[in-house]
Amino acid sequence: MSLKSYSRARSVHVMLVYTGGCNGCDIEIVNCIFSPKYDAEQYKIFLTWNPREADVLVVTGPVTKHNEQPLREIYKAIPEPKAVIAAGACALMGGVYKNINGDIPSEEIMGPVDKIIPVDAKVPGCAVRPEDVLAGAVAALPKLLNAK
Amino acid sequence: MSIADSLIAFIAVIGTLILAFFVSAWLPGIERRFQARIQQRIGPPISTPGIMAPLKFFFKEVINPNSPMPGLYNVLPIIGLIITISLLMITMPQLYVLAAFTSVIALVGLLKVEEIIYMFMGSLSQSVLSLKMPFPDIVKGAKHPGVRRSFVEELSSMRAFRLIAFGSFPIYIAIFVTVAIAKSIYISDIVSYQQIHGPILFSLAGILGAIVFFIGFMILLNEYPFAILKTKADVIEGPLLEYAAKYRAYVYISRGFLIFVLASIFSTLFLGIPPNILSWTILINIAVTLVFTMIMATVSTFSPIFTFKQFYPLVAGVSMIGILAIIASFL
Amino acid sequence: MDEDNKVTKKQVIETEVPLGTVHSAAIEPYRVRLFVEDEIVKDAEITVGVNHRGVERIMEGLPVEKANSLTEKICGICSNSHIWNSVLVAEKALGIEVPERALYIRIIMEELERLHSHMLYLAHGSEVLGHETFAMRIFYIRETVMELLRMIGGNRVQYGVPIIGGIRPRAELDLMRIQKIKDGMDFVEEKITEFAERFVSDPMVMSRITGVGILKKEDAIRLSATGPTLRATGVDIDLRRDMPEYESFEFNVITQDDGDVKANILVRVLEIPESIKIIRQAIDHLPEGKITNRSWDMEDSPVTNNYIEVPRGKLYHSYSLDDGRVRNVIIRTPSITNIGAMEYACIGYHITDAQLAIVQCDPCFTCTDRAIKIIQI
Repeated sequence: MSLKSYSRARSVHVMLVYTGGCNGCDIEIVNCIFSPKYDAEQYKIFLTWNPREADVLVVTGPVTKHNEQPLREIYKAIPEPKAVIAAGACALMGGVYKNINGDIPSEEIMGPVDKIIPVDAKVPGCAVRPEDVLAGAVAALPKLLNAK
Repeated sequence: MSIADSLIAFIAVIGTLILAFFVSAWLPGIERRFQARIQQRIGPPISTPGIMAPLKFFFKEVINPNSPMPGLYNVLPIIGLIITISLLMITMPQLYVLAAFTSVIALVGLLKVEEIIYMFMGSLSQSVLSLKMPFPDIVKGAKHPGVRRSFVEELSSMRAFRLIAFGSFPIYIAIFVTVAIAKSIYISDIVSYQQIHGPILFSLAGILGAIVFFIGFMILLNEYPFAILKTKADVIEGPLLEYAAKYRAYVYISRGFLIFVLASIFSTLFLGIPPNILSWTILINIAVTLVFTMIMATVSTFSPIFTFKQFYPLVAGVSMIGILAIIASFL
Repeated sequence: MDEDNKVTKKQVIETEVPLGTVHSAAIEPYRVRLFVEDEIVKDAEITVGVNHRGVERIMEGLPVEKANSLTEKICGICSNSHIWNSVLVAEKALGIEVPERALYIRIIMEELERLHSHMLYLAHGSEVLGHETFAMRIFYIRETVMELLRMIGGNRVQYGVPIIGGIRPRAELDLMRIQKIKDGMDFVEEKITEFAERFVSDPMVMSRITGVGILKKEDAIRLSATGPTLRATGVDIDLRRDMPEYESFEFNVITQDDGDVKANILVRVLEIPESIKIIRQAIDHLPEGKITNRSWDMEDSPVTNNYIEVPRGKLYHSYSLDDGRVRNVIIRTPSITNIGAMEYACIGYHITDAQLAIVQCDPCFTCTDRAIKIIQI
């Protein structure tokens, strides 16, 4: 393993962007960073709120209208190499909001996430479990490590 | 001085710098690990925040920051690093021949520049996270549509300005405690005074001065609870928001290095032990650095952010202790 | 542009600092524009609607069972409150009797949810204070409650326990589960008491939160604040006291007088032992019998509404039933009525305290973004 990939594997900065789901996934992801039980920092995963610092973008929620443009901007602000994890059923396929097929469909959902930005790892669940989020971060790692 | 002596002095300076870099690279990791253990979790490996994170940032794509002057903005952390290196160099015994440059005045001047850099950073950074966020703010019915709009970094630039005005007071007073005791502004005189009379730290004035120095040390490093420049609650990371790739790596490195430098200034001024790789006393410098890092980690883990409401009285009180220390030094 | 704002122009406002929609203090997406003069907030504007998904719209015309489980997805923090209230509306409209045992288990769920919601509030508050350690301690305690919720409902966030006429069979409490809840409650009570003592005896934290974000009683009533935010200003109001579901339970309504961040935090901290008290009573007097009443028929009903007290205040659901399908849905969540209080509470304080003043009202903007855009069909 070269020094480049070694250092990338030993320090992963994760940024969380929350695009209008139900808060559930969001809390679980914050939980897996802050709760001493999961403690993502022991796996060298750090939470940051600054796109310039981030390597991995975790996106939750079905991407509502007002969140589409900010999401693009934040994705653009992250320097290469970068990976995107879509977490939760809403981020993967629009969730109940897009697929429940009521009389009137919702016009507000612009998602799922991979319509807007390229997604590298998908974490299913409603809401995602903290363990799965950590596993998803690991699944996105090869892209970071093998990047130029 | 013969050429051989100069050569040895040169090697000693370079050697000390390299050792300082090596030690300081571990400091952020030790600090984070220490905090994590207090918080009842395992925490990151100690190599990660100080060594691996900067390395990773060196391998990232260099981007153009959102800034009116991207070149100047990117160069600022390098200037900060150079200033920190010169701070370390003027405390080294090999360079005491440069008389005027190795005085306490030079020390204070360089520390001041270190603070001013934050102000420049703040006014030059224009992150996507506040004003640039594409969101329809000015619409019909919005409050105060005509008001001047600013980035959050401008806020932290203003805070940096205030910190220059009063925040660094404690560390200067603490430095001048040693001046008052040794009755000289030259670092060489302060060191030789302590070699004769014993360390300043083990006197009343010295202990008070050390406390004041430590508070000033934390304020200068913008560590919690004095991190008002870069609180997560409003300005996110403040002046550092737009640094990416290798420039962020410089920010990371210079922070760890500043911890080492400030701690070695302490051991020079209060213990009479300048950083010098040719003497075994460098171990004491390293020990002081570790102790400072650990105390800082403990204090910052158990404290919330201070706003100016808490900041002003604290700095005023600490400065009073510093003045007491100066008075005590005359007794 | 200028004509509308002649009145407000008299105020001296220097700069506007916009924060959001992605921000470290507000994990949820919302936009807040703070108008500051020398770092003191003079006016604030909170814009919600960023995560508007139109839940009422897509609920229109769904079968009532499906609609109930959709209301759960309104909010991940108080999901049980939403589904419970939605189910209560249907039960009220159709006149369904709920077995006692189901009722008790619903209340256990609701109170467990109140526990985890209040603890999340404390953790978020500590995080905004800049006190990472307190946030982590609270998350550590909260994990016990999350495990209990997972044990009963099968999921850590959306448990979906109430159904029309009772509760899901999965959520039946057997002896092992009851014992686990008892142990969990003992643990939480012990730890939260320790934490509260540690919290109020910390001089640095207290100096940050005392006298910040003050909301007077009259202002809170005028701005129609609700729930713990209103109770922190000294108004003795709690819908749980008047709800028929809570009739057989003993508990105190906690009020504080100051209306600042400290009072808000204390109300939530002191409500945690009260919730534990209710859970213990429910477990001790858990009636025997079946958990679901299946003998009911679907019929049409006019618009029916119901209010319940949820962790953040008063929750309103109303809909009519037409051929087993839901029509004319209206949902009003507590955070929407608290927004006025949030904007008001942060005026006059330092900008770092302003974030704290917003967070003190326990905002849940996901709940809030409900308003329907009316269109011609």
